[in-house]
Amino acid sequence: MIRFENVYKEYPGDNEALHDVDLHIKRGEFVFVLGPSGAGKSTFLKLILREESPTRGHVWVDGVDLADLKEKQIPYLRRKIGVVFQDFRLIPTMTVYDNVAFALRVTDVSEDRIRERVPIVLKLVGLTHKADAYPPTLSGGEQQRVAVGRALAHSPELLIADEPTGNVDPAMSLEMMKLLVAANNVGATVVVVTHEQDMARRMGKRIILLEEGRVVTDGKPGQGKGGARG
Amino acid sequence: MKWSSFRYLFGQGLHAMRLNRMMTVTSVGVLTVCMVITGCAGLLSANLTSMMEWLGRQNEMVVMLDRSATEEEYLELGEEIRAIPGVSEAAYHTKEEALNELSAEMEGYASLFEDLSGEENPLYARYTVSVSEPEQMEAIGEQISGMPLVEVVRSPQLLVDTFLRLQRTVRAVSWGLVALLGIVSVVVIGNTIRLTVFARRREITIMKYVGATNAFIRLPFFVEGVTVGVLAGLLSSGLVLGAYAALADRAAGMLQGMEFMGPDMVLPLTAVWPLVLGGFLLFGILLGSLGTTLSMRKYLNV
Repeated sequence: MIRFENVYKEYPGDNEALHDVDLHIKRGEFVFVLGPSGAGKSTFLKLILREESPTRGHVWVDGVDLADLKEKQIPYLRRKIGVVFQDFRLIPTMTVYDNVAFALRVTDVSEDRIRERVPIVLKLVGLTHKADAYPPTLSGGEQQRVAVGRALAHSPELLIADEPTGNVDPAMSLEMMKLLVAANNVGATVVVVTHEQDMARRMGKRIILLEEGRVVTDGKPGQGKGGARG
Repeated sequence: MKWSSFRYLFGQGLHAMRLNRMMTVTSVGVLTVCMVITGCAGLLSANLTSMMEWLGRQNEMVVMLDRSATEEEYLELGEEIRAIPGVSEAAYHTKEEALNELSAEMEGYASLFEDLSGEENPLYARYTVSVSEPEQMEAIGEQISGMPLVEVVRSPQLLVDTFLRLQRTVRAVSWGLVALLGIVSVVVIGNTIRLTVFARRREITIMKYVGATNAFIRLPFFVEGVTVGVLAGLLSSGLVLGAYAALADRAAGMLQGMEFMGPDMVLPLTAVWPLVLGGFLLFGILLGSLGTTLSMRKYLNV
């Protein structure tokens, strides 16, 4: 699903964000990208979403070399990827239903299809009864679920969560993980970017540890450096 | 783009205008003022052009004749005038005819003219001379005024020159205004759109991440910018045409009975309204789109 091949990324001013990153995340995997702030996690995400291009090396998403992707094709790449933001980024003036529908409305999905799809997504994240509520009236956990719902609206093949537990208490973190696992169980490749080691390790999934722009370890907890790679 | 998507995005644009009410009203107002000023200059310029054309079509000079000459001498002079190349016609009017014409034009003042008939008639016998090409009028006029028995030649030449100078100035000022006020309008619309963009930056970011194309992201802002332009266009058309209707009638009345001028020198409302309305709408749409494009450019690079 995602392949990085000798990827280097430098920002202006001799600022190296990624150094020779080489990895492969397979379709249907559930992966944590772990690292302290400044380790290159954000850059890693930006490269996948094609917000940035690597200085050297290649990034493939769903079999497409992103270097070959034209500017106009970027939106279509992003429709295959669902993103859950750390701060959720819900639209406060729209209902829960409309927040989820928004992702479909702005990508030319027909209103019939939206009426069909949104209830399914709301059921999946357990918010059917809150469809008409506005985000500011919801609890943090509920807002989190709306954010996941919106990311799942397109039935993405790849679901990315950027520090999904950064803003919430441990009970809600667990709740979020359950949602992501549920999405993974219905077929989505899930990439969780986080700095929270404990939570990542408790889940028992593959962890890619980034430090100063390099992949330090890659594997499941308890396995050695470089284990379960590829 | 699907019809339902278009409707949704269109609605989003109108919704933003309502949320942004104060700014919308302000920019429609500023834009209207700009357009009204431009429109007035444009109409003035168009009328001067029309006056020039009207004068050009007249091609007629009035040759006043020496009072002392006899009828035969006058007729002889007429032959000489007709012999000048470029003269298409020379019609003789006795001073009695001139008097009758004048009293007919000034009916209601008939008593003034009663004592002026016969020997007391102060008017000149005259030839009205038509030329085939208006450009030749000046030269032919000079030639005729050099002939014996000719007291004075009046031609619209001076008027033509005056109008021409005036027209040039007005046209230059108009274009200056169009350029200056155009820039002001684009900046005003651009600022309004920028406010909306700022208010909706969260939505724009989300749109980018869920894979909305730039066309989808831009459309609501275009709807807003162009609607502001169209509203200003309609409003200023109403104002300018209303004022024009009132002024054109008055101006036409003033030109009635003036030498070398006539009420049909002023363009009638029916001739200008489609141009004004069409021009303003086009101008509004153009400025709206331009303002939107310029203010959105940097927000689309995510």
